[in-house]
Amino acid sequence: MVQLRPRASRIPASAMVDEGQPPSEEEEEAEHGLLLGQPSSGAAAEPLEEEDEEGDDELDDEAPEELTFASAQAEAREEERRVRESVRRDKTLLKEKRKRREELFIEQKKRKLLPDNILEKLTTAGPTNIKKPSGKLKEANLQKKKEEYEKGSDSKNAKEKVQKVQSVGQNKSYVALRLKDQDLRDARQQAAKAFIQNSLYGPGTNRTTINKFLSLENKRLPVKKAAAQFLNNAWGTQKKQNAKRFKRRWMVRKMKTSK
Amino acid sequence: MGEFKVHRVRFFNYIPSGIRCVAYNNQSNRLAVSRTDGTVEIYNLSANYFQEKFFPGHESRATEALCWAKGQRLFSAGLNGEIIEYDLQALNIKYAVDAFGGPIWSMAVSPHGSQLLVGCEDGSVKLFQITPDKIQFERNFDRQKSRILSLCWHPSGTHVAAGSIDYISVFDVKSGSAVHKMLVDRQYMGVSKRKCIIWGVAFLSDGTVISVDSAGKVQFWDSATGTLVKNHLIANADVQSIAVSDQEDSFVVGTAEGTVFHFQLVSVTSNSSEKQWVRTKPFQHHTHDVRAVAHSPTALISGGTDTHLVIRPLMEKVEVKNYDAALRKITFPHRRLISCSKKRQLLLFQFTHHLELWRLGSTVATGKNGDTLPLSRNADHLLHLKTKGPENIICSCISPCGSWIAYSTTSRFFLYRLNYEHDNISLQRVSKMPAFLRSALQILFSEDSTKLFVASNQGSLHVIRLLEGSFKHLHTFQPQSGTVESMCLLAVSPDGNWLASSGTSAGVHVYNIKHLKLHCTVPSYNFPVTALAIAPNTNNLVIAHSDQQVFEYSIPDKQYTEWSRTIQKQGFHYLWLQRDTPITHISFHPKRPMHILLHDAYMFCIIDKSLPLPNDKTLLYNPLPPTKESDVIRRRTAHAFKISKIYKPLLFMDLLDERTLVAVERPLDDIIAQLPPPIKKKKFGT
Repeated sequence: MVQLRPRASRIPASAMVDEGQPPSEEEEEAEHGLLLGQPSSGAAAEPLEEEDEEGDDELDDEAPEELTFASAQAEAREEERRVRESVRRDKTLLKEKRKRREELFIEQKKRKLLPDNILEKLTTAGPTNIKKPSGKLKEANLQKKKEEYEKGSDSKNAKEKVQKVQSVGQNKSYVALRLKDQDLRDARQQAAKAFIQNSLYGPGTNRTTINKFLSLENKRLPVKKAAAQFLNNAWGTQKKQNAKRFKRRWMVRKMKTSK
Repeated sequence: MGEFKVHRVRFFNYIPSGIRCVAYNNQSNRLAVSRTDGTVEIYNLSANYFQEKFFPGHESRATEALCWAKGQRLFSAGLNGEIIEYDLQALNIKYAVDAFGGPIWSMAVSPHGSQLLVGCEDGSVKLFQITPDKIQFERNFDRQKSRILSLCWHPSGTHVAAGSIDYISVFDVKSGSAVHKMLVDRQYMGVSKRKCIIWGVAFLSDGTVISVDSAGKVQFWDSATGTLVKNHLIANADVQSIAVSDQEDSFVVGTAEGTVFHFQLVSVTSNSSEKQWVRTKPFQHHTHDVRAVAHSPTALISGGTDTHLVIRPLMEKVEVKNYDAALRKITFPHRRLISCSKKRQLLLFQFTHHLELWRLGSTVATGKNGDTLPLSRNADHLLHLKTKGPENIICSCISPCGSWIAYSTTSRFFLYRLNYEHDNISLQRVSKMPAFLRSALQILFSEDSTKLFVASNQGSLHVIRLLEGSFKHLHTFQPQSGTVESMCLLAVSPDGNWLASSGTSAGVHVYNIKHLKLHCTVPSYNFPVTALAIAPNTNNLVIAHSDQQVFEYSIPDKQYTEWSRTIQKQGFHYLWLQRDTPITHISFHPKRPMHILLHDAYMFCIIDKSLPLPNDKTLLYNPLPPTKESDVIRRRTAHAFKISKIYKPLLFMDLLDERTLVAVERPLDDIIAQLPPPIKKKKFGT
């Protein structure tokens, strides 16, 4: 039977010290306790001992300590308990943290939302029909007119029923929209624009730059001319600006000293 | 004529937007053109191809399809998923209906004009019923797998052809189901990696479907059997648009290389009755993609990314072979985008989303005729004013003293006060502009900068008095009778008593500002007004029309002047009447009441009313003869129209003071240099 020597492990030092004594007391009884299922054959035992040999040479002649089954069981149970405790502690800590965060978010959200009275009015007012731009009402810039149709066939996207509410409140007249629909619409419009851009100017199309296009004639003349946009006027604008500023300051300085 | 120093301005970085869709209306001979920035312009082809109305654009509105319905109703649909109807009388958008199919790629009106089909991003084809005041959703057709990029009705209204990616479907309108699905070959230069996009379809009454696709092919399909009949490979790049004439004996296609091909139905041999489609004429008037074509009974119309609108009359269809049968290329705007403050030598440039204020440079050198004088102080970019919101700027103006700037979009009106101290400039916005000022079509300040005149799109004219930091609404002239024919133009007399406004079918109205009432109305003329101005001292109203006629009307006398009657009796020189571009600005010399200065895109002219008028035999354009000629000859050939073509293309020309002119030019090369990339052309030897 292999006796486990107390090795440097994750168990804290205090626990190690405690464990030091019980195994030595019950060494004799450990011989009887093969219930732990430790391999008693030499093949399994030898590698462990070999590792030990490299580290602790002086402890080689000592007999391995004996461990009783009960003590080992108690040890294991204690360990389990400790682990369970720590996990429970961690869980509660996390729970508390989450609770605090949730409260913080709710508070922030409350701050962001419109005041309660306006929200009430929004939910009670019904959906409107096609909007006609009237000269009187000053609508907000985001204008999406939606109508709820009865569709016979299915449509891939969910029917975007947006409740558009007009003239909430006596003095102000504005339009409330659901932002989720707006994002979806924008995403599709972007995808459509990307499709057109890709099919006309994307890879695989035979496009060339304006400079090359306009310079094609110049290349075939009997006296070859330069390209249409030979000079790059946008080169070094920062440098040119700095130079101009420096020149102005230098002139002023020169005027001052010459006077 | 006098000697002038000319400020030649080339720093107006004006780039027109590319043309995306074109729709021709046969009954009224009008053309609706939509551009990539969302603007929709209406050209009157019988009024010398003049742009009479336009609807300002919006950033989110990417128009993809435009069509006319019965009764002069104009609809457009775009990538924001909405179908928009335009009100041609009130010059605003009547309403916008969401189609709930995602971005809309194509739209077609049924042959009887009562139904509307849209092809959407999710592959659905939706049918709408056109009711007298709006459109109503009827039903969906069978949903297809990929986006529907082109649609066309059969002339009888029973079937519809829809072009998508890699295939064309033919639908039966009654049931809404797809009858045939024709697969298009992807083959493009031997490589079949890219998907074949069907950019356009056309349906003929004998059941032939013509499709144009991105592989450069024009294909003829038989819709009864769903098979390919004929295949023409006409280009190395995409063929992007197709338009069939009403008689169905010719159609036109536009390619991405800028070439426009004309196909005609000709008989196989001279006496056989069998006919076939033959590609007859190629036209190369564009440098970039031709994304829209239209076929009128006598002309082929094309427009594309290179921003030109080209109208090519077909010689065999034109009855009278005169100058009307020449090619027309519309490149420059037909209205003024620049306003000038004479006192401070400032220019205000109007772009689609911002305004720029520049101060002109100055020179101290002198020279003789034709010299270029060096600048002692360069032109200064004083202000770059961006508009808030996604809408385009409709019109803008700067007051003659330079302290007020006003501009208008569809939903708001902005008025700014400028303060100059030493070399700095500060801007203050005047807040709380009244709601009735928005959607202004034309803004004008009075000569002493105390009053602001605004013409709104409802037809009314507002007069506002400007005070130090605020304003006061003085009066509103209600719209007079008559339909709206073109965009309103305003002119105010330098002494501040008279205000002239044009744009309705009733003629040009002249209002008395001191008494705030209508003074008189100039009799209407059947061509729209392109420019309007009131002369100082004499208070003669000079009106230029789109057929190049110039009238002079005396406001105090309420009748045409003697000079105007004389020239109408004699008629203008034939070369003057054959000019392509409309006169966009008229101005006067403060010390010489007999001179009228006007300009169009390719010339500027000083009309001297004291000199004799030219008849058709004299040379119209005679620049200064060499001094070797004797005085007698010079006196004999001198006539009233002094034309100079030195500065072109001109966007604006005005008299700053007695000895200075300012000419704002926009060379075509500078516009082309900033366009999107064109298709590569391979030429031998390069």
